[in-house]
Amino acid sequence: MMANILDGIVLGLQFGLLAAGLTLVYGLGGVLNLGYGQIAVTSAMVVAFAMDAGMPVLPAIGLGLLAGGLLGLFLDLTILRPVYRLRGEARVLLSLLLTLGVSFIVDGFLNWRYPLEALSLRIGGGAVEILGVPMRRGSLVASAITLVTFAGLFVFFRYTSLGRAIRSVIQNEEGARLIGIDPKKMLRLILILSGVLAALVAVTRSMVAPVDTKSGLSITVFALIVTVVGGLGDVGGALLAGIILGIINVVAADFIGSYISLIILLGAAAVTLLIRPAGLLGVKE
Amino acid sequence: MSHSPTRRAGTFLIGGTEAHTSRSLPALLLPITAVGAALALVPLWLGDSRVLMGVAVLGLAFACYAIGFNLIFGSTGQLFLCVGALAGVGGYGAAILADTVGLPILVSILVATLAATLIGGLLSYVAVKRSLGVIFAGIVTLIFTLSFDALLLGLSNLTGGDTGRSIKTGAETFLRDQIPPYYLMLALVLVFLLVHGLLRRSHIGWAFRALRDDEIAAELAGVDVARYRVYGALIGAAMLGLAGSTYAFTEGRLSPTTFGFGQVDVVVLVMLAFGGIGTLFGPIVGAVTFTIVDEILIDFGQLRQVAYGILIIVLFLRMPRGLIPAMDSLWRRVRGLVGGRE
Repeated sequence: MMANILDGIVLGLQFGLLAAGLTLVYGLGGVLNLGYGQIAVTSAMVVAFAMDAGMPVLPAIGLGLLAGGLLGLFLDLTILRPVYRLRGEARVLLSLLLTLGVSFIVDGFLNWRYPLEALSLRIGGGAVEILGVPMRRGSLVASAITLVTFAGLFVFFRYTSLGRAIRSVIQNEEGARLIGIDPKKMLRLILILSGVLAALVAVTRSMVAPVDTKSGLSITVFALIVTVVGGLGDVGGALLAGIILGIINVVAADFIGSYISLIILLGAAAVTLLIRPAGLLGVKE
Repeated sequence: MSHSPTRRAGTFLIGGTEAHTSRSLPALLLPITAVGAALALVPLWLGDSRVLMGVAVLGLAFACYAIGFNLIFGSTGQLFLCVGALAGVGGYGAAILADTVGLPILVSILVATLAATLIGGLLSYVAVKRSLGVIFAGIVTLIFTLSFDALLLGLSNLTGGDTGRSIKTGAETFLRDQIPPYYLMLALVLVFLLVHGLLRRSHIGWAFRALRDDEIAAELAGVDVARYRVYGALIGAAMLGLAGSTYAFTEGRLSPTTFGFGQVDVVVLVMLAFGGIGTLFGPIVGAVTFTIVDEILIDFGQLRQVAYGILIIVLFLRMPRGLIPAMDSLWRRVRGLVGGRE
């Protein structure tokens, strides 16, 4: 049981990080970015190519994160311009349709040009025992990176004035504008941050399993599910939802078997969504 | 969300030109007959090629899916991201009932269609009761699609898993001939068009328009929004299930990609957006156009996906209401220039 819970937490941290970038953009801008997984995959390809060209691992990862941020900025400057002119659900709908188009372009191009390329950052060495359970080194490093990232996000949103400004826009766009915060500028920052987080997802994921050019859709879909369960725009909710879903998935896989565990995971997400449409930690409007 | 939620989601996509309501019955039957006559000529032209006839039958199946989805999304504003899954419940359900359980072919189609109808109705009922918005309803139905995919892979003794299964029932009948399946699917398309056309003229169509244009106003005017949403989903899901199961027997082979999200849902959305969401003939225009475009692009492999991506973006940016409303307003402008005011 201990092993299940630890494995679940490791998987859950992955889920949580997956959702963090998506939930911020959704919560702040009402923009549902279906190209999120493709940003992750493209960044993974950048890291892989940099390493193929002989670059050491850490600078290559840095380059990948930069690429993710630039892709987020690119989306903000191009395809999302007309989206920002709309409000409410119309905005979400147009953003998801346009970014779906982007994801097709990226997926099609990568699968055509580099069908066999994949990023795999294997971390050698034997298993490490934690609370009597042997854990793979790769998953531990990935989990550590995720925890540090979340800690950074919490500090940023709670204690820096920029982070608070962003939160104020999430809570009330008009009010934030009245006290002199430019929501557009905040949105651009968040899209860059979201791109960097997507790249980080690709990096940590590749420590556990290879990230190839076909991973984009599944990254987006799982990020989306964790996002809605956690509540829109809520980084803490994303972390909590990720860990709960991760534990459910691992426990169900252990007791019942693989494909039904996925259905149980999906069912849990659907039920949460129906019972608490505002998300686990959300308050009803 | 921070901004004021508008409940009129999707109206920016949906054409407002509704000229069909006051027309007489012949005015409805005439264009449907014309579409039927035009499409009935296709086998004269492609009938020699087994491959091209297969493409044409698939195109008609997509026209059916698009009409069903149009009823759910276009008429009642519910974003169902489980078009392929509902058609798949019909297709796989009918195949399993006929081959494994041994029911007669018509009974198995009926039962599978009923199953798809009930699932569609249930999804809609839950979404309406919990007053989920367009996006959340979309995510719940997407979760259903993912679960259905997981089931297809998991129950491999029934579904054949990743490689799929063949259907023995109907193998020696006209269903697997070269031409008859085309007319069978065409008949479905025409019946669906007629049903949708008649619905639009009835009080149900009136309620659909009211709730789509302004949900709150419709509710205040005494339209039971929840009930009509569920009606729309039931009818649309029945069309999806019937089309999926009929197509399955003409095809004789099923695999997860036959009803996959990327292969069906996304394509149907693009077809409908191109033709005009919420219009009667938009699904036909979209399905015919994209079946032809797809056939032209077939040699480009993965680049075809790039082309689709560009198309989606251009379409939703430049012509968010689709071809039919765009042509309609162009025609009005031309008529206004030539003949003065009406």
